[in-house]
Amino acid sequence: MNDADTTRELTDPTDVTSTVAGPGRLASSSRPAPSRFSMRLLLERYLLVGVWIALVILLGLTQPDSFLTSTAIQVIFGASAVYVVLGLAAMCTTLVGEIDLAVPFIMGLAATSVPVLVSKMGFSVLAACAVALVLSAVAGLINGLLIVKVGVDAFIVTLASGTILLGLAGGMSHQVPVSGLPPEFSQVAISKFIGLPAFTWYGFILAIVGAYVLAFTPLGRDIAFVGANREVSRLAGIRVDTVRLFAYVLGSLLAGIAGVLLVAQLGGFEASTSGSYLLPTFAVLFLSAAVVRPGRFTPIGLLIAVYFIATGNLGIQLFGYSGWPQQLFYGGSLVAAVTAVHIVRRKSSTF
Amino acid sequence: MSENGDRDAGQQIRLRVGGLSKRFGPNLALDGVSLDVRRGEVYGLIGQNGSGKSTLTKVLAGYHVPEPDGTVEIDGTALRMPPRPKELLSAGIAFVHQDLGLLDHMTVMDNICVGNLEASRILRRVQWAREAERARRVLAGLRVDIDPARLAGDLGAEERAIVAIARGLLRLPPSGGLIVLDEATRALPEHSLAEVHRVMREIAHQGGSVVLVSHNLDEVMAVTDRVAVFRDGRVVTAGLETTSTDKRELARMMLGYDVRDDEFHVAGVADDVRPTLSIRSLAGRQIESLDLEVKPGEIVGITGLNGSGFEDLPALLSGAAPSSGHLQIRGRAIPPGKRSIRAMLGAGVVVIPERRERDGLAFDMTVEDNITFPRLHTRGTPWFVGNKWRREEAGWVVDLLDVRPRDPSLLVRQLSGGNQQKVLLGKWLASKPDLMVLHEPTQAVDVGARRDILEAVHSAAQSGVAVVIASAEIGDLAAICHRVIIMRAGRAAALQQRPTRDEILRELHTDAMSDQPTATSNAEEGTA
Repeated sequence: MNDADTTRELTDPTDVTSTVAGPGRLASSSRPAPSRFSMRLLLERYLLVGVWIALVILLGLTQPDSFLTSTAIQVIFGASAVYVVLGLAAMCTTLVGEIDLAVPFIMGLAATSVPVLVSKMGFSVLAACAVALVLSAVAGLINGLLIVKVGVDAFIVTLASGTILLGLAGGMSHQVPVSGLPPEFSQVAISKFIGLPAFTWYGFILAIVGAYVLAFTPLGRDIAFVGANREVSRLAGIRVDTVRLFAYVLGSLLAGIAGVLLVAQLGGFEASTSGSYLLPTFAVLFLSAAVVRPGRFTPIGLLIAVYFIATGNLGIQLFGYSGWPQQLFYGGSLVAAVTAVHIVRRKSSTF
Repeated sequence: MSENGDRDAGQQIRLRVGGLSKRFGPNLALDGVSLDVRRGEVYGLIGQNGSGKSTLTKVLAGYHVPEPDGTVEIDGTALRMPPRPKELLSAGIAFVHQDLGLLDHMTVMDNICVGNLEASRILRRVQWAREAERARRVLAGLRVDIDPARLAGDLGAEERAIVAIARGLLRLPPSGGLIVLDEATRALPEHSLAEVHRVMREIAHQGGSVVLVSHNLDEVMAVTDRVAVFRDGRVVTAGLETTSTDKRELARMMLGYDVRDDEFHVAGVADDVRPTLSIRSLAGRQIESLDLEVKPGEIVGITGLNGSGFEDLPALLSGAAPSSGHLQIRGRAIPPGKRSIRAMLGAGVVVIPERRERDGLAFDMTVEDNITFPRLHTRGTPWFVGNKWRREEAGWVVDLLDVRPRDPSLLVRQLSGGNQQKVLLGKWLASKPDLMVLHEPTQAVDVGARRDILEAVHSAAQSGVAVVIASAEIGDLAAICHRVIIMRAGRAAALQQRPTRDEILRELHTDAMSDQPTATSNAEEGTA
């Protein structure tokens, strides 16, 4: 209240020093900085978090026996870990104003090639993982070169290359599920640490590192500027094309890591399921732009988005549904969250 | 036209605005605004960026919803707020916005008639012959000779503005209505303004009312009958007869304080100092060959008509466009193949580009982010950009250039144009450059911001920065430059020491008629 009163006093137009001779530059004559904390800002940033908490409370009250169990927590955090890594992979390119639809297919290729190399070609697990990651990075490099150096449309290039990779993975595995990995390998993804599977922790760590790099390092600020305005960045001496190329390679490498971890978690992989990861990946990615810093893709926002969706999905299952209601939930929450943020933001105007 | 007594002026009022307010959060963008616009007059709305004049036009256009207590009347009838497009049409109000909104690949006729096509009675078919006739009639009514079949993209600047005005007129009742030109003349070069002004006078002469929102005091003095001056959301003076005032008084009312004379003390430059910038036979884009030396502390202006090449110098000096010829910065030669953006920045050359939103600033990032962006790698460590220096630097720029609001955490998009330009200038001033190249630094900024910008450039020069200003705003060049180069056909055509505005203007236009050899030899004399 006190705060609001001082603000009003300062904005009172009668206070403006209209009689001051010379350039009236007294601090009091300028518009005061608007207060940084407001209900609107809170709503704009944490609406989704609020809805998530409401969802948890709702499920806790209605389904206490099944929801408030460690199994439920395992399901929420374990099964969705792959979307954290995939979402980060896709975010690498969207941050610099690009798009990479090949991300889930690169993951699929990595997840297929590890068991194929180990069980059919006698590679050691370590070598197979290395090959899978190299393949992923090369796929990203080829996409990046076509898009950045040749100038072909990113949407088309990555859609096409994603389809090619899907085909390659299918051919490599003869269209059947592949497995045959040593059981110790699965520990990489599923061994527990403070009650949560390792895969979940990798996702946390990657998101936190990503958030730090973006917010606090010169590289992260460069990336944000390249995404915000390419020409301004170029004229400030940023190697814009290198940053864009790097984004494709890093995104693809992360997709490869997601693939290796996923096949470790599942014990095997069927190449043809790669496509089913496409829509959820982009749904959580765009949902991430509706939290923390609306309009911007943020790794922390991605974590929130992924676990919000996972909680909702589990809730739907607990109520005895599966399949199509989950799809309604994915699409519905994405549209609802983005619309809500858009409406809240429109209320804030310019000076 | 406006010589009516107070009593019978009552019936002559076309637009009456009474006590109109508009609040954005805690800020009153419009605060009890009242004014009357008569039939048959050109009425100017002037004020600095953010003073409320554009907010008023946006309220009239139905884009903003005003506070409930204000009124708007057209010809004595209240207009519902916010009006619907149909209601504006039947009230006879049309708007021409600053981007004009022409479709370049369509003809003049299409542009004038778009949204107004009349369909035939039975087949609902567009009758193109009739449409062409309507377009021709509107243009003829303005006594202009533009072929309706030409493509809008092929028109000159003044013809484009006139076509946009004609499109507005098509919607208005004959010999009446109100047309609001919201900065629609701002992109026009000085020599094109006269014809557009004649068209405005013609509309007023036929009984229409024209509201002209403008930054340009010369224009307001030249074409309007009366003006309203806005400051901080309020009308300082409404209905002021233009003939009874002058530019200086208007500027004083806009700013709330007196503008000092538009002259800077231009200090002498030592002769024996090594030049910061030295170019010989520089060529690239439209520049065929240019010689130039700029010493520390010296401000050199470069201007010309459109297409003369002066507008390409910033791109060549920034490294954004390739160039040939000799180029030295502080005695160190930079060969043609090595003139990358990074190399030029590394040599201490900064360029303030013309197009703020495209090339200058990231509008959706904060003021602080934008200001500190070029120095993240030099002042931060690879693992931490650092916050203290960024806060200090942003604060320094905000203080130096009087950026308002004084909050570096705002998005650049939230600032007015003049303040955005200050942020852009500050972003590069903070790099402590050796050579600063400015491209149209005061384009579309108000009087107060222009003063602040020129002052900052002037004091940078006094601290030893060499400055090049490429600009068509010859008033700026006359105010602060030691020398002004006038270019023609890619070459320096003349060079003037401390010229006045009129001297530059004369050179610009007489020179266009003189023959080339004379002009070139003149230049060689000058730069020698």
